[in-house]
Amino acid sequence: MGLASTLFLRALTLATVLILVVFFIVIILGATGTSDKILQAMVNEEVMMLRQSLAKTIKDPQELERVIDVRRQELMEFYGLTKPWYVRLPDMAWRVLTLDLGKARTLKTFTGGNKVSDIVMERLTNTIILVTSATIISALIGLVLGVRIATKVGGILDRISSYMSAISYAIPTWWIGIILIMVFSFLLRLFPFGGLYSTPPPSDPYLRFLDMLWHSVLPVTTLVVASVGVWVYTTRTIVLNIAQEDFVNAARARGLPEELVRRRYIMRVAAPPILTNVILGLATSISGAILTETVFNWPGLGRLFYDAVLVMDEVVVIALTYIFTLVYIVARFLLEVLYIILDPRVRY
Amino acid sequence: MPVRFNETLQEFWRLKVSKVGVAFLTILVFLSIYVVTSYPLDFGVRYWNNPAYWADYPKSAPPSWVNYFSDQKLPEHYVLVYDKPSDIMSTESGRTLLYIFRLDFQADKPPTFISFTLENLTYYSDPPTARLNVKRPDGKDIKLYEYIAPAPYAGESPPYMRFYDIPKRISITGDMSVASALARFLLREYNVSIRPSEVNSIGQHTIVFSVPGPNKEFYVLKGEYIFTISIDTYDPRDNIGKVKLVIGGNVYGFMGTDSLGRDLSIGLLFGFPIALFIGIVTSTITTLLGAGLGIVGGYVGGKVDEVIQRVADFVNNIPLLPLLIFLAFILGQNIWILVFLLVAFGWPTLTIIVRSMVLQLKSSQFIEAAISLGASRLWIMFRHIFPQVAPFVFAQLIFFTPTFILLEAALSFLGLGDPTIPTWGQILEYGFRSGGIYVGLWWWIIPPGLLIIWTAITFVLIALGMEPVVNPRLRRMK
Repeated sequence: MGLASTLFLRALTLATVLILVVFFIVIILGATGTSDKILQAMVNEEVMMLRQSLAKTIKDPQELERVIDVRRQELMEFYGLTKPWYVRLPDMAWRVLTLDLGKARTLKTFTGGNKVSDIVMERLTNTIILVTSATIISALIGLVLGVRIATKVGGILDRISSYMSAISYAIPTWWIGIILIMVFSFLLRLFPFGGLYSTPPPSDPYLRFLDMLWHSVLPVTTLVVASVGVWVYTTRTIVLNIAQEDFVNAARARGLPEELVRRRYIMRVAAPPILTNVILGLATSISGAILTETVFNWPGLGRLFYDAVLVMDEVVVIALTYIFTLVYIVARFLLEVLYIILDPRVRY
Repeated sequence: MPVRFNETLQEFWRLKVSKVGVAFLTILVFLSIYVVTSYPLDFGVRYWNNPAYWADYPKSAPPSWVNYFSDQKLPEHYVLVYDKPSDIMSTESGRTLLYIFRLDFQADKPPTFISFTLENLTYYSDPPTARLNVKRPDGKDIKLYEYIAPAPYAGESPPYMRFYDIPKRISITGDMSVASALARFLLREYNVSIRPSEVNSIGQHTIVFSVPGPNKEFYVLKGEYIFTISIDTYDPRDNIGKVKLVIGGNVYGFMGTDSLGRDLSIGLLFGFPIALFIGIVTSTITTLLGAGLGIVGGYVGGKVDEVIQRVADFVNNIPLLPLLIFLAFILGQNIWILVFLLVAFGWPTLTIIVRSMVLQLKSSQFIEAAISLGASRLWIMFRHIFPQVAPFVFAQLIFFTPTFILLEAALSFLGLGDPTIPTWGQILEYGFRSGGIYVGLWWWIIPPGLLIIWTAITFVLIALGMEPVVNPRLRRMK
């Protein structure tokens, strides 16, 4: 099997997962009657607009009602509301897949629109900025510290790191965020309580960027603190296992410089399993992002999720569930591509 | 291969982490038993989420022990209750029941409110009149409030029963007639002219507990206050069940209160059994289901295995929290639905590991021996394979528990907790949503988080202690 077909197979599997998730969402929506409510809202919206435009031309109220009733019936037919929910399953699934979910009830875009797809898409970037920068920082710290600790097994740093990783497993990310707000925003007044920019945001693009950096310090720190322990510990364990292999000892016995042994013999082998850990950690970082964004009022998908749950905006909740799955699966695919590039054995 | 139970226990107990973990767990279990036996079942609905129940508690009050750490003593919260009068005076028209409340007030700040409550009043002729007076440390008397019980309705016959279902709560703070009385008092005693509306905005309770300065600022007056509620009755059979005077404080109890005045120590205690229940029950069901499917899939193989693997793979490939939020949102916020969802998404990890363990075991000689002796598949899976994987499965059970506790807390924090059952996550959620974190109400925010961490750590420690038992390779390394 070549590289292309391996990648194609992975893509196919993940796409199947995505479609299955969408169908699962739609079945739940149908069985609980939520999809009826959503489609009915879309019909009502169109009927209302029709009434406004027709009221100018048709003066007779009875005639107006008759025309509107006919149109309403047509719309019900069109949206499949006359059929039971399981018949229009594919249609509803397509709506979710293309984010064609109509209008949000109360939530709006930054410019005031209420189309669900617009609301969701404009916040995607903010989430990606937050999650990637936090992941890169914790990965760097994890790699540097993990490799260093692996060379001094049983040292103080080693024991601290193993306890820290056990403890960080038991600390809720969002609570760390709350504590950081209480200490650095409320008590010390060093960083803002939340948000993306100050109000009003600086107009100069350079200052604007700095303002965003200033606002992102606490949320990024939260995500890093929550995940760095696990990063250090897994890197340490993987590197440690490889460092004890025969071929590493053989390389050392040949008198190769330690730096070369570490780079070529240990890290080259350790990279794929470490990457596997990143893939597994992805789900956690997405959950972490939802909660951290909520705590810091970071205008990304996670905070939107919280707001949508708070005001009971079903369509936005559905769109977000789908988008999070999509983001997760795309990120997973990209990492697996990287994995295949790093580890030639997987290709065959 | 099979580990003896006693040896296992010794191996486990040898480690310090195990001892600490078990000690923590014992405390958690005892606190939970205490709560389960002493709290009413409908605690959440009847008390915790019922603002009327907390009306007489101070709002957003820190714990009372903060006074030991600050120069400025904040006033304590006083709830003074009598079910019998302290004294009875006879007058020409009947009897006057006297309720005398003595209060030694030594705080540096005035109280936050004053209210009194009448309960279970019975009278036979004219409606009784209640009066609230206070005698201050400087010897000055203030007549604060006068209240006449509702007169008989047309056609009602004695005894007239009042305030049996809903106690009559009268708040001195915010009452305009009290404000006028206090304005007159200030003018008469101190020659300070102040409008009743100003009294109302300064706070009636503040005026009662202070002396005015030259520029309408008020200094707290320390010493003994004697509050008297006198009730004039006009028939010897007239009776009142309970009289309560509340002097609202700025500090309360051991853990303080939230912005609704709820006593946090009560809510936090209630969280113990809930956290343990969600953690242990969910984890047990999840591991049993996960291990069961892993054993069946691994041993039976074929189509069954294929199906289980596909489903496990599917569940493993989706982000957990977004789907949990979606389902909890659509299906409703209920603790049983939550447990079901956590199980539904939790089993695959274990299934995949157990399956690979079973695949190795399957070809071992003792299984082949059992097969050749004619053992049925069910018998082999239950009697021969399960005991082999059991220690590992049990360790995973412990290891999964904190995950579920944290997931429940996270969902509660997002506002998707069961509203009839208060949890630590929900206490934090309300603290966050009502802005408690932005004004530094630390006693509201820090304890529930620490309790979540403590409970989770307990299981992490026990899991760490079990590691060498389950993984003998580690044992030899020690």
